[in-house]
Amino acid sequence: MSFIPGQPVTAVVQRIEIRKLRQGEHLILGFSIGGGIDQDPGQNPFSEDKSDKGIYVTRVTPGGPAEVAGLMMGDKVMQVNGWDMTMVTHDQARKRLTKKNEDVVRLLVTRKSLEQAVRHSMM
Amino acid sequence: MEDYDVRSAASILASVKEQEARFERLTRALEEERRHVSLQLDRSNAPPTGSSVPPNSQPLAWQQVVMQEQSPSNQTSLAMMQEPQEVVEETVTIEEDPGTPTSHVSVVTSDDGTTRRTETKVTKMVKTVTTRTVRQVPLGPDGLPLPEGSSPLGSYTDSIDRRYLKNGERYITTPQATSTLTRSYNNYNDSYSDTPPPDADVTDNYGSLSRGGNFRPPRYPYAMANSYRPENSYVTLPIRKDDYGHMAQPQVPMGSSSVDLNRSQPERFQPEPYGLEDDRRSLGPEEEEPYDLEPDYSTAGRRQGTLPGTNRGRTMREGYEDPIEAELIDERHPYIHGMYAAPLAQPERGSMASLDRLAGRRSPSIDSIRKDPRWRDPDLQEVIAMLGHPIDPVKSNAAAYLQHLCYENDKIKKDVRQLKGIPVLTGLLDHPKAEVHRKACGALRNISYGKDHDNKVAIKNCDGIPALIRLLRKTNDMEVRELITGTLWNLSSYEPLKMVIINHGLQTMTNEVIIPHSGWEHEPNEDSKPRDAEWTTVFKNTSGCLRNVSSDGAEARRRLRECEGLVDALLHALQSAVGKKDMDNKSVENCVCIMRNLSYHVHKEIPGAEKFTDPSALQAPGSAGPQRKKKDDAGCFGGKKAKEEWFNQGRKNGENDKNYDTLDLPKRTEPTKGFELLYQPEVVRLYLSLLTESQNYNTLEAAAGALQNLSAGQWTWSNYIRATVRKEKGLPILVELLRSDSDKVVRAVAIALRNLSIDRRNKDLIGSYAMRDLVSNLPSGQQRPAKNLEEDTVVAILNTIHEIVTDSSENARSLIQAQAIEKLVAINKTSQSSRENKAASHVLQTVWSYKDLRNALTKDGWNKSHFQPTATSAPKAAKNGKPGYDDTTLPLMEKNQDGYSTIDQRDKDCKYKSAGDGSVDLAEREPLKNDTHRKHYIRSNRPAVSLLDACDVKPQPVDSWV
Repeated sequence: MSFIPGQPVTAVVQRIEIRKLRQGEHLILGFSIGGGIDQDPGQNPFSEDKSDKGIYVTRVTPGGPAEVAGLMMGDKVMQVNGWDMTMVTHDQARKRLTKKNEDVVRLLVTRKSLEQAVRHSMM
Repeated sequence: MEDYDVRSAASILASVKEQEARFERLTRALEEERRHVSLQLDRSNAPPTGSSVPPNSQPLAWQQVVMQEQSPSNQTSLAMMQEPQEVVEETVTIEEDPGTPTSHVSVVTSDDGTTRRTETKVTKMVKTVTTRTVRQVPLGPDGLPLPEGSSPLGSYTDSIDRRYLKNGERYITTPQATSTLTRSYNNYNDSYSDTPPPDADVTDNYGSLSRGGNFRPPRYPYAMANSYRPENSYVTLPIRKDDYGHMAQPQVPMGSSSVDLNRSQPERFQPEPYGLEDDRRSLGPEEEEPYDLEPDYSTAGRRQGTLPGTNRGRTMREGYEDPIEAELIDERHPYIHGMYAAPLAQPERGSMASLDRLAGRRSPSIDSIRKDPRWRDPDLQEVIAMLGHPIDPVKSNAAAYLQHLCYENDKIKKDVRQLKGIPVLTGLLDHPKAEVHRKACGALRNISYGKDHDNKVAIKNCDGIPALIRLLRKTNDMEVRELITGTLWNLSSYEPLKMVIINHGLQTMTNEVIIPHSGWEHEPNEDSKPRDAEWTTVFKNTSGCLRNVSSDGAEARRRLRECEGLVDALLHALQSAVGKKDMDNKSVENCVCIMRNLSYHVHKEIPGAEKFTDPSALQAPGSAGPQRKKKDDAGCFGGKKAKEEWFNQGRKNGENDKNYDTLDLPKRTEPTKGFELLYQPEVVRLYLSLLTESQNYNTLEAAAGALQNLSAGQWTWSNYIRATVRKEKGLPILVELLRSDSDKVVRAVAIALRNLSIDRRNKDLIGSYAMRDLVSNLPSGQQRPAKNLEEDTVVAILNTIHEIVTDSSENARSLIQAQAIEKLVAINKTSQSSRENKAASHVLQTVWSYKDLRNALTKDGWNKSHFQPTATSAPKAAKNGKPGYDDTTLPLMEKNQDGYSTIDQRDKDCKYKSAGDGSVDLAEREPLKNDTHRKHYIRSNRPAVSLLDACDVKPQPVDSWV
């Protein structure tokens, strides 16, 4: 599952819709992201290809909105509300996710187990 | 008329004859009974034979005699007293949980060869009296004693008479029963109660005993004055409480004791009369007391113990003191003289303690002493004053007496403390005479026992701990060493004293006790073969003490690990236990618990741990992650530092995956020693042997806990440990233990399996082989399984299941095949415990996330809604709730655990204070694992803590909360 910028990408994706939780003035999605084109991809523990600079879900708050929606740690975020996330900086991704005027974000994510499941079902 | 007269005369004659006949029967029966009694008394007087000891004898008698010998009865008699040879000790076998000392009282006695355990059936005294009374009581026209009014003795006599009547009947009807007697009093009475419905009769007696109500008071008043007399209650058996008071009071010399009588709690002491009686009657050599006496019994024994010889004698007499008794005495003499070859006590001697024991105990002549007004027991203040008496034997006897007074009597302990007795006793520890420091130590041991930590603190405040340690270094007397280490064990149960004990005594205890008794040798002599450990009491006590102090946090662990020879010796002892297949005892349990505690966080706490830290796993998420959270991060939701560890973790996982089977244990150039032994893969075999062989749940739990601790964390050694467990075929052993009946064993094993499944191969194996056993431990909805596991255990199992199904759809498939979904759904929907709900919900969500399994799930009738968290679990709560808090030991595991960011932090803090299912609770509920769990846990929620520097090793990848 390598994502080389500029190359077409084949991925099994899952659509995840997260309804943000309002906590005081904060809107909470309940997960954290890592990665981005400005980050050292070698330190990303979730990517198979250590040159992958994509945005990954690094933690999911148990019971939080993201988890409820089915997001899992290690998921790679492909899109947020239709915006590409495979070629963004960390901060761009964060901002895209945390817009205060959006109560819902729709993610397109991919993960290893999805790939495997597909492969499994094809075999 | 005449006819009538004749008839009347005839009928009168007939009735008289009938009465005569009855009377004759009664007399005969009495005669026979008397014969039996005297026969048996003779027999009992003779040296007892083994066979005469009833097999079900209860463990009381020895104590009584013990006490008698130990307790100085009076100043004047001190010098004459036989030296106390028995020791009653209380031991707190408090586990790591200092807050809830188990009420496990171990009693150890040293044998003086003159007493033994005897049967404890006990209506004896009562009956002895009563039978005799039968003779005394005027007989009614029916040949039976007159029930009412014929006695000049007053109300309580009346009731006694009624009692006698009953007994008399019984007696008459059961002559054959006496033939079964083997021992005089006891058996006499036994047979007595034999024929009539035994319980009815016996309980009757006891019931009235307890009603009599002066059983409770004994301790104090006892000591203080002779007021307390068990026999009173015997005599007063049938009498109501007021009657009791009525008759007791005149005999009570001091007002205080009557007060005590009134607030007595008789029920608790019902068994005591047994002990009492037994003791008096026990003539043979005493048997070694088994440990773990039932508290009641030991209490009984103890109380007796506090009763000095005089009292004893007197008490014996008390029964006879009431009016009936007075009449009976003469009658009794013939028996007694005949029965006892031993010389009678000489009443005028003045010191009951000096009386011959036998005679002193039961000779009627004591009553003259009883009436001797010169007799009084010293009160507590006087006893404490005697500790400073210039004559050494007085000191030692006073201390011994204090020991007995304090036995299981918190009130007296407190009084001793308030009367400033503890510094005096502590001072006596340095006394050159063995007798004195031994007794002082014994007293301190009892004082230090119990939940009243003030006593422990008082000992510490007068430098008792260094004094004990000094004495430990100085003395070679085993008994003294037992007392010292027992006291230290007691003291070690109180948290604030743990470090004090470590500071003063760790190396001494190790050098003086642990190493020598473990059989370990610093430089083994090639010629001699390795010695085995000796499970002495001293070793048991010392290891118990170290076990307690080992739970005092990181610093305590560090000190123990670095204590020279300690780990080596403990390991040697355990190995020798395994070798000898002797691993169910308390010493082994203590050793394993110490090892377990020292293994806790070993990967973070040992010097140079960084060297071994998996370079890719510098920050284990569980440990480092939450700790690094700072409140400041809250604003931007971006724990910037935090991300790195997650990355690192992931990478480490990736690498581990490749390394599983190519694990090379490091080559060692020189033998490991000291704390390094804690985490060498060799210990795995040791723990597995214990897990296989031991029957002791605490040992099993500790051994599983040790594996759990060692397999947690990301460093080279935990990788080795995880692989070694697999290679040593440890996984089946652990899985087997999931079937254990013991809740805590199941829990420890489940968590260990969870940690072990960090290793990918282990995860696969555990998924295939343990799933069924894990699932079978789960409750079905609200119904608990047969085992009825605690919430913590269920949560631990759920978390383990979660771990093994995460990233493994194969394991999720086994989970489904194990019929777990139904249970999980039921727990999720219906469990009363929100923690169980959440844990189950997490498993379900994980399962549902495997799309390839959904078909199968749908076929089974499940749909997505079953796998959603229940509506009730508000996200916020869930956030905090799920984290299996037991994960605190498992730094690696908590991917989705607490403390993601400071937002959570705030909630969590609140939760700790308020929530019912809070994690703090859990930590406290699971104290055995390690006290530090809690600390660590709490700490982990605070901002800056250790390991922080570790994060700075690399530039940190950004990780943003959204």
